[in-house]
Amino acid sequence: MTIIHNRSLDDIDDTAPVLGGNAITRAFSGGSLMRLIGMLVLILILGFLTIYPLSMLLYGSLHSTPPGMAGEFNLDGYRSIMTTQNLMILANTVGISLAKTIPSLTIAVFLAWIVARTDTPFRGTLEVLITLPFFIPPILTAMAWGMLANPQVGVINMVWRWLTGAQDPLINIYSYGGVIWHMCQYSIPFLFLFMVDAFRAMDPSLEESSRMCGASRWTTFRKITLLLMLPVLTSSFMLSFIKGIETFESALFFGLPAGIKVITTDIYESINHRATPDYQYATSLSFAIMGLMFLLVIAQWAVLRGKSFQTVTGKGFRPNVMELGPWRWVTFAFCVLFFVVTVVLPVGQLLLGSFFRFFGFYTYDMLTLEHYRAVFSNSEFWRAVRNTMMLGLLGATATMALGAVVAYISIRTKWRGRSLIDGMAWLPWMMPGMVLGVGFLWAFAMLPGPIPIYGTVWALLLAYIALGTPVAVRVMTGSYHQLSYDLEECSRVHGASWFQTMWRILVALAWPAFAVGWVLTFFGIMRELSASILLYSVGSETLAVVLLKLWANGNAEQVSVIGLMMMLLVILFRWVQLRFIKARISKL
Amino acid sequence: MTKTIFVTSAMRKWSRRLFLTVAGGLIMASAVGLPVQAQDAEWQKVIEAGKKEGTLVLYTALVGQPSTKAIAEAFTEEYGIEVEILEARASEIRERVRVEQAAGRFAADVMFTSEGQTMLYNTQDKSVDPLPVTPNSGKINDRFKLKVPMASVMTIPYGIMINTSLVKPEDEPKSWKDLADPKWQGKILSDDPRAIGAGYLWFFSTHDRIGEDYVRKVAEQKLVFTRDQRESQRRTARGEYSIYMPVILTDFSDLKGLPVKFIIPEEGVPYVLYGNVLLKKAPHPNAAKLYLDFMQSPTVQKIYAGLGYGPVLDGMTEGLPADVKAISEAKLYGTTDTTRQNEMLAKSKEIFK
Repeated sequence: MTIIHNRSLDDIDDTAPVLGGNAITRAFSGGSLMRLIGMLVLILILGFLTIYPLSMLLYGSLHSTPPGMAGEFNLDGYRSIMTTQNLMILANTVGISLAKTIPSLTIAVFLAWIVARTDTPFRGTLEVLITLPFFIPPILTAMAWGMLANPQVGVINMVWRWLTGAQDPLINIYSYGGVIWHMCQYSIPFLFLFMVDAFRAMDPSLEESSRMCGASRWTTFRKITLLLMLPVLTSSFMLSFIKGIETFESALFFGLPAGIKVITTDIYESINHRATPDYQYATSLSFAIMGLMFLLVIAQWAVLRGKSFQTVTGKGFRPNVMELGPWRWVTFAFCVLFFVVTVVLPVGQLLLGSFFRFFGFYTYDMLTLEHYRAVFSNSEFWRAVRNTMMLGLLGATATMALGAVVAYISIRTKWRGRSLIDGMAWLPWMMPGMVLGVGFLWAFAMLPGPIPIYGTVWALLLAYIALGTPVAVRVMTGSYHQLSYDLEECSRVHGASWFQTMWRILVALAWPAFAVGWVLTFFGIMRELSASILLYSVGSETLAVVLLKLWANGNAEQVSVIGLMMMLLVILFRWVQLRFIKARISKL
Repeated sequence: MTKTIFVTSAMRKWSRRLFLTVAGGLIMASAVGLPVQAQDAEWQKVIEAGKKEGTLVLYTALVGQPSTKAIAEAFTEEYGIEVEILEARASEIRERVRVEQAAGRFAADVMFTSEGQTMLYNTQDKSVDPLPVTPNSGKINDRFKLKVPMASVMTIPYGIMINTSLVKPEDEPKSWKDLADPKWQGKILSDDPRAIGAGYLWFFSTHDRIGEDYVRKVAEQKLVFTRDQRESQRRTARGEYSIYMPVILTDFSDLKGLPVKFIIPEEGVPYVLYGNVLLKKAPHPNAAKLYLDFMQSPTVQKIYAGLGYGPVLDGMTEGLPADVKAISEAKLYGTTDTTRQNEMLAKSKEIFK
């Protein structure tokens, strides 16, 4: 099987016909000068959001002191990271990230295929339920898994000992396996969300043709389904792998007791646990990692270049699903098992614990609603909810709009500079969050006085847009890769303007991806702490800041109450998206 | 006649003494009393100016403490000045202040932080102003009058926590030295001494006071490290480990009802001294002075003592419940020295590989 060589980008005429409309329309659809200006504006926006904070960090890595302090330019930061120990930590980190990315991707692909391409029962409900852990703050699931799987008194090990009479524990969460498992808890739902709509948008006739030609289900899945998913799969792999390199909570919580070191714990220590924060070391190490990660992006460009993965064409297709027969109960059982292990077990602990005075002490006299009362009567919490909802709604919408435009230009045009903006949009993903947060602080605080960003909610909003852009672009890129050029051309030929085409064809057809990206970005904003803590001002506290305060004060149960509320919000959002919006949009 | 002369002479002598006494008193009064009045008048001006400023911006590195808000409310009630509070962890809040000042944004008035951090603010970042003399600043215990420009407020004491279901009363450790007993091997959860934090504080003070041999013996106990104070207390309470150390002793009241006991070691408690610094070019300098003074007043000192923290003003623990009083009055054992941090961190990393 080869990849379908449809029409490639090179076949499309560079010069689009000049259309009427307003200035913005003309900027993207009109003559080359206006297009140039449009691109320049886009490059400026992305530059401000990504290059500017990164350049502050680059300065930090090349200067003996952070911005604003007297010092000298030198390479001490880069010299100090060149140690054998760091090389071993890097190898360890890469190993852990691969060990979590490969199984996560495999399981996520399988789940996405089950939900989107088969007639597995209750797949609509499962689609919402299996993604829930992703939306809970990692510290809560870490605590829950600590209670479930610690070797001494973990619930799972106690049950195991009771059942078998064994002395040794069945599992120990404070181990490499524990670190990887906790990371998988986040990457599987993330990858699933990222891929499921791409699976859904695939023309089943391609799979059917393969089956008609005598290929088995497995061969069809491998050679048709997976290959058509190549852009989404490579993007998924990279997003997940890079995030794995930067993951912090799992390694700190489960790795530290077992002596497991990763790059981010080293960076964290250099900023937070030295007499004086060593920003030169932290930024140098981050840039070195970033350089390595960028090689991956270049590799992905090389893999995808010149190929087409269009499955949504002008030709109608039946979005039917594969009938599995009795096997559908096996796939159903797999989803239920996944749901029980990754959702019911940890979330059940959080839910149960929220009704008792202390987690893990489930006696009648400990029953209480005080944690719910405390959260609901906490005025700071409600203020943070208002701030975060406002930032989330604005931020997610702006991020997805920016992501959609960047993805459109980089995938569906051959405009000069499209690779540049695609590359720029990747950058924030490659810098560990805690370092990038410092970059935003330096960048926004050092702006000239009359630019009122630092100390206002705009600082938070801009940081969130920058942080969300990589996912937004990847989500939309995957979706645009699948749309055939016939659709746009047909629309344009029939006299539709650039924006009409964008709205009726690209937005309507790419809407599911847009909605998933929006939810991912929205909840990313809800959880974001590294930049928030450095940029929030009095009165603009976000939910993550309030969660940190509660956690730091030992109110884990109250943090759980808020985590559970966030989860309810996810269910609501996803339900609205899957049941309501999709139905309306499909009528466009 | 002679007698009369004597009486007269005696009267003269007495009169002279009286005169001298009165005169001396007047001189003393003019030397001491009048400046006191003048100082009162000066302070009154600060109060008036502070009230006019109307707001105080407080940055604090002590995250999530409900006492911060309670004290701010008491301050507002006393002076009618609103307090805006911004909380973040020590390194984050320090970098915020440094960058803000470097960019010419002088947003904060007062920073509530530790003695060690103050030294860095003062010597490296140069972001603090000298301390003002306030009515209460002279009244605190002499040991808390510092060379660094920090108005001391309270000490956070650290001790040992045990799980009472796993440790029999007769086996309970009573001192830091008891932790070196081989019977605790593999049973101690410890805050990580290789990074700045509570574990490092324990390492620093016991290394200096008991000696390196002791620390090395404890290192052989196969300690399990953590960096999350509160979650570690819960883990110990749930029975994962027999001992957690060093624990913030003031947390004992939050865990009432759990099978745990907080122990004040015989040697004393390692501690972190917290206080306020006046930040450079504070936008509300008079409100800031009032706040610095208020934090050393009996009102605030009693709030902290009531929570188990060590007050810097004597006589604040009267009438407290016995358990709180014991922690609040616990003998202070030692704290860290910022000037030796790199050396001691390296040593800790070498010992606790």
